[in-house]
Amino acid sequence: MANFAFLDWFWLVVFIILMIVCGVLFYRLGKRSMSDFFLAGRGLPWWLPAASVYATHSATDTPIWVSGVIYRYGLRGIWYTFFSAWCAISAFASTRIFRRSLAYTQAEWQTLRFSGMGAEMLRGWIAGWQVFMNMFVLGWVGIAMGKLCNLLFGWPEWIGLILFSSLCAIYVLAAGYWGVIMADFQQGVIAFSVIVLVSIWGIAAAGGPQRIMIKLESIGQSWRLNPFAFSGWTSGDFPVVWFLTMLVIAVIGGFGMGTSIDWYPEAQRIQSARTIRDASYSIWSGSALIVVRNSLWAIAIIAFFSLYPNIQSTAEYEMAWYRIGFEFLPVGLIGFFFAAIVAIHLSTISTHLNLGASYATRDLYQHYFRPKASDRELVWVGRVSTLILLLGSFLYGLMMQEITQWLIFALWIMAAGIWLPSILQVVWWRFNSWGYLSSWIANLGLSWLVVWVLPEFKVIPVLPDYLQFWFMMVLGALIYIPTTFLTPHEDMDRLVKYYVMSRPLGWWSPVREEAERRGLLQYEGQQTERGMK
Amino acid sequence: MSWIKKEWTAQQADRWSKEDYLTFIISPVVYFLLALGVALSLLLLWYGWVILAVSLILLVVMIKIIDPKLKALSEDYEIKQKEYLEDLERIERWEE
Repeated sequence: MANFAFLDWFWLVVFIILMIVCGVLFYRLGKRSMSDFFLAGRGLPWWLPAASVYATHSATDTPIWVSGVIYRYGLRGIWYTFFSAWCAISAFASTRIFRRSLAYTQAEWQTLRFSGMGAEMLRGWIAGWQVFMNMFVLGWVGIAMGKLCNLLFGWPEWIGLILFSSLCAIYVLAAGYWGVIMADFQQGVIAFSVIVLVSIWGIAAAGGPQRIMIKLESIGQSWRLNPFAFSGWTSGDFPVVWFLTMLVIAVIGGFGMGTSIDWYPEAQRIQSARTIRDASYSIWSGSALIVVRNSLWAIAIIAFFSLYPNIQSTAEYEMAWYRIGFEFLPVGLIGFFFAAIVAIHLSTISTHLNLGASYATRDLYQHYFRPKASDRELVWVGRVSTLILLLGSFLYGLMMQEITQWLIFALWIMAAGIWLPSILQVVWWRFNSWGYLSSWIANLGLSWLVVWVLPEFKVIPVLPDYLQFWFMMVLGALIYIPTTFLTPHEDMDRLVKYYVMSRPLGWWSPVREEAERRGLLQYEGQQTERGMK
Repeated sequence: MSWIKKEWTAQQADRWSKEDYLTFIISPVVYFLLALGVALSLLLLWYGWVILAVSLILLVVMIKIIDPKLKALSEDYEIKQKEYLEDLERIERWEE
């Protein structure tokens, strides 16, 4: 239980009021149009979406997860958190392509890249899945806050879940994405400052870097300071092949759209940036901050390990970073620390409320029910969708204990089997909607087989996760590649239009040549070449 | 870095070029070194500071390589954007 003095409560109340007022102030901008309610009018300078990328991906459960892997694996555990590196290439590849498409959402992009019934099926599926996923993330993150409040104040879990999500909904309902982005900026600054403060405080509390290193050496744990302490090529808990697989998934995934679950909130930030350049820099720098944040956390957790090296319970050592803050910060700063926790919590909740509502409004309501709806009507539908997502998240949050395990499994399979198709849809003109659809369907079946059914019947051994990834990728390709070639390519008019607008990277020669033949593309270099001939 | 193009026309910037491919290589390296450099610097290890410095130098190099191109293609695209957005709304309303 935390001991809050008057000054702690003061900080907490002031920050919560500031966060809500900061969002609500943009009410007038948010209600102007659907473009304002979901994309802030597509006019933001790079540093605003960058702060939002950072703030959104720092949730209440993030330090719990990072503490867990670092306490368990030492500094090498930092590579478990390196998946955000997909933005390194994405910022200059898929971000540019997606920004040029101007699609509100990834679901809408499917109907710009593909055509016909397949494209509509993909749009409907991705929109529905995203509404569900955002509600699920809201419940997941919300109940993490409930548990934290239970630990700190002894409140029943539902109070923390409902109280903070509802406070956040005030400004999301009022100002939409304008509220999200402006509050995210403020929350990002608070959160980053406190992460730096608490992490350095933790290192100091452990006696400083020298003392930490001496302590680890004295207990035979100095390998924890080595970020490349591999357990072998394929054996042990940290093999080289796992590391290489992670690097491939993270880095090469940046060429695709949807290779990471984080792509979907990023896609909204990309479209809200005022230019392609702003979009690129926002994604790159927001993720760079995440990389820095993870390193700060990592060393703080190693400091914690040097103080408490014998904790066996996962649930206990996962709270390491929170314990540093609540046990070592002086009175007055604890409230500041908790205000920062509320800040990272609200930034994640606000994003997923608005993002889920954007899929419900743009892709489901407008596209399939009321195509000619006015902006005013669509803003109101956005608000109603936000409210439904909020209420749904309470239900998810309260039943989360039972469903978490299989939903984490569902997230993993979503990522593994569609990783390559999500790249192919961007870089290869011939890959069509039926190929992409079949990869989703195949993935659902194959993942159950590879992860649970076949090992259960001893047909194959239980595979480590990196082997599951490669195995499912090959098996999936045996289905979606033939499907692609057995079905016609997308309508050439649609492909040409998409190409001229988005200028995708990769194997697009037939489409580019067709666009040139129609006189839609003119390159100075080519004109010169033709002139020379 | 005279082999890096600094003046771009809109048409040239629209094509993927060696500046993009170089950025694809440098950018993940910057992230990788940043992750290592920050962590090891916090432990006050001298090579942590070196790694961090290298990551920052590479970051500057990357921006010098890609920024002129990004500026050129952004400026050109923003001119066309209004027309594209109108087209997008027509598709959304099933008018096209």
